[in-house]
Amino acid sequence: MSTAMERQTQPTEVTAERTRTRPTYTPAVDIVENQDELLVLADMPGVKAADVDVQFENGTLTIHGHVHERQSNATRFLRREYGVGDYHRTFQVSELVDAEQIAAEYVDGVLKLHLPKVAQAKPRRIAVQGK
Amino acid sequence: MSLIPWRKKHEQADILPAPALSSLRSEFDQLFDRFFGEFESGFPAGTEGMGAWLPAFEVSETGDAVTVKAELPGVDPQDVDVTVSGNILTISGEKREESEKREGVTYRCERRFGRFQRSIELPTAVDADNVTAENANGVLTVRLPRSESARPRKVKVLAPK
Repeated sequence: MSTAMERQTQPTEVTAERTRTRPTYTPAVDIVENQDELLVLADMPGVKAADVDVQFENGTLTIHGHVHERQSNATRFLRREYGVGDYHRTFQVSELVDAEQIAAEYVDGVLKLHLPKVAQAKPRRIAVQGK
Repeated sequence: MSLIPWRKKHEQADILPAPALSSLRSEFDQLFDRFFGEFESGFPAGTEGMGAWLPAFEVSETGDAVTVKAELPGVDPQDVDVTVSGNILTISGEKREESEKREGVTYRCERRFGRFQRSIELPTAVDADNVTAENANGVLTVRLPRSESARPRKVKVLAPK
């Protein structure tokens, strides 16, 4: 059986160079496929829900999160373990996803994407007729 | 739980005479912190049975307060505990895995879950009664106002008569 995530094993590179020089970070993601959908969970702390941009085009899923500078440059930092910058990640997903029905929510810094499969991609149980 | 010896570095930075050099140096320090911070979270030392991740922190200070931020994506604010004891700030909590995730084929599994606890030494005495904490978009911000005695004071220099 072919799975919707078949061609996704090779991570795709960002094709176009970004014009801004801010650092960009790769969010950690979990991707799970069940019978009805692909579920993508991405840790993107510090982004406002309105600044998360999700696009699905020609089988390419792009997640982008714009992070605003959190503190002024005048602040004296004693410890900085994480950088502040945009989040960006791209995945190649097969066309078996119903692009119209993709749903996204962002709660407590985690982006949750539901990518429902089109009807033909869902496993079907075929009743066997006996005589 | 290990305490972080940030104070040592801070004192070193003060001795350096040239400001340009000192800012370059602090950038390098941050680079190291970030690298070893990740290293540390991969192999949590001294957190027996505490789980497999440590959130990243950012500590900054202004004249009247110390601000500690922690990246806690996916942590329910109800699952976070913030305590101040003397000049030690402890943040602990738990990141729970989504229940709907359990069934199905997993293609990527990069996010980490479990309990965490981190303690840091604060640079000055703080007013523990007025500490505020809020969790917005997965970033916890704890603001600790300096205690009255620890605030910087401007001293007027009198000219001799």
